[in-house]
Amino acid sequence: MRKLFPPELLARDGRFTRVTNEERFGDPRGPRGLAGGRPGKKGNNRLTPDLPEAPDAARALMHGIFVGEIQALEGAGRTCWDFETGKGREEAPFELKLDMARQCWDEARHCEISVKLSDWMGTELGEFSESAFLYEAACNPDPVLRLTGVNRALEGLAIDVFTTMKDFGDIAGDPVLEFCEDWMLADEVTHVKMGSDWLRRLTADDPERRANALEFQRVVDKLFSFGGLRGETDENPIRLARRFRELAGFSDGEIDEISNVSEEATREAASLGAEAGSEVGATA
Amino acid sequence: MAVVTVTPDEWQFVAFDSGRIAAVAEKLLGEIGLDVDLKVEVDETTPMGRVSTSSLQPLVIAVESGAFEDPKRPRQLSEQAVADVLGRLLHRCADRIDPAFGDPPPDVALTCSSRRRGTPTPSVAAPARLPRAAPAPLYHFRNRTASATWPTPLRPAVGRVRPHVGRHPGVCDETDGVEVGRVG
Repeated sequence: MRKLFPPELLARDGRFTRVTNEERFGDPRGPRGLAGGRPGKKGNNRLTPDLPEAPDAARALMHGIFVGEIQALEGAGRTCWDFETGKGREEAPFELKLDMARQCWDEARHCEISVKLSDWMGTELGEFSESAFLYEAACNPDPVLRLTGVNRALEGLAIDVFTTMKDFGDIAGDPVLEFCEDWMLADEVTHVKMGSDWLRRLTADDPERRANALEFQRVVDKLFSFGGLRGETDENPIRLARRFRELAGFSDGEIDEISNVSEEATREAASLGAEAGSEVGATA
Repeated sequence: MAVVTVTPDEWQFVAFDSGRIAAVAEKLLGEIGLDVDLKVEVDETTPMGRVSTSSLQPLVIAVESGAFEDPKRPRQLSEQAVADVLGRLLHRCADRIDPAFGDPPPDVALTCSSRRRGTPTPSVAAPARLPRAAPAPLYHFRNRTASATWPTPLRPAVGRVRPHVGRHPGVCDETDGVEVGRVG
């Protein structure tokens, strides 16, 4: 069986439609629009059940989580296989592989939960497009960078999404959504904690490697702040789940940094949007 | 004959077609029985999907382009999405315009809890009434109360059962069936 399996060869049946990162990030409208959100409408961007588009937005978001669970399963499985067992820089300790195997078990369960939740929400599998970004972050040749990119950055994002949707289910009066999110959230906290613990253990004597890993996490965090989709204000549709991140091993400083990265992504998106808007104005 | 206007005429960021959107809207107006002119204002500068009724008289609906987008093909128009989004809002507008419906609160004052309390609420589940080529995604928080249709493994774990509050005006059969839902 080959090592370092490429994302484009991941097995999917005919129901699924892959969207490339070029399509995803090359959208001229930007992640939140040329205005970088809804200026002047503070407090109006949260995904709440009373919005007319809330059901479809919730279905789309949970389908994104579903394909993310599949890729997290594939990524954790690859980490068990791609590296020889050992304590060397290009190896993975046996205990780390055990943690990844446990994560596979969790992600497989999350896939089953997500399939049932999709059915519950009236969503067909493959109804929305799939982007392979999570698995791509799990293709890094350094296991520590995989852990920071996937377990700390993307599974950390999952903590934020699950917390947001758990609250959504509570407000909407949908206990099935609420409990599904709560159960998956508990596992995600564990996965992020694994990432935090292994990052510290594997880089205890290698500050350069740790710095590289944290920089990779920062890049992934910024990329998937989606121009301010996630943050700590009511203008951000997805809320940064500070408390659960603390439980997952993030220090206050690290959480502050993610918050700053999100704000930075918001400002950059707004700036790019203003540029694009002025170009359009000039063309018109 | 109702006149439907869609703006903008020309698209710079998405591959939408104003004529196709207008055609779907005209069909919906006929099926819903709304004989009023309609203006659909699409904000193509954002991929978000927020929608709202800007005005009832004249009838103006504001849509962010993500709401009309094909969920599998970024920036491409989906007539099904247009029908779902406009159908939902037009049913709500029809309820509001109908004098027999009473005097419901404005949209911004409508919350899930107000619906549960039995406040007269314009339709939120209307696309269920529309003929569709494919099964409709009908997620309108279908499980406000425990129902026999819950996934079996979840039932024992759920301790909250919300009381049935009676049928609300404008709620379709599917939603009402769920709200009446029996404890499994």
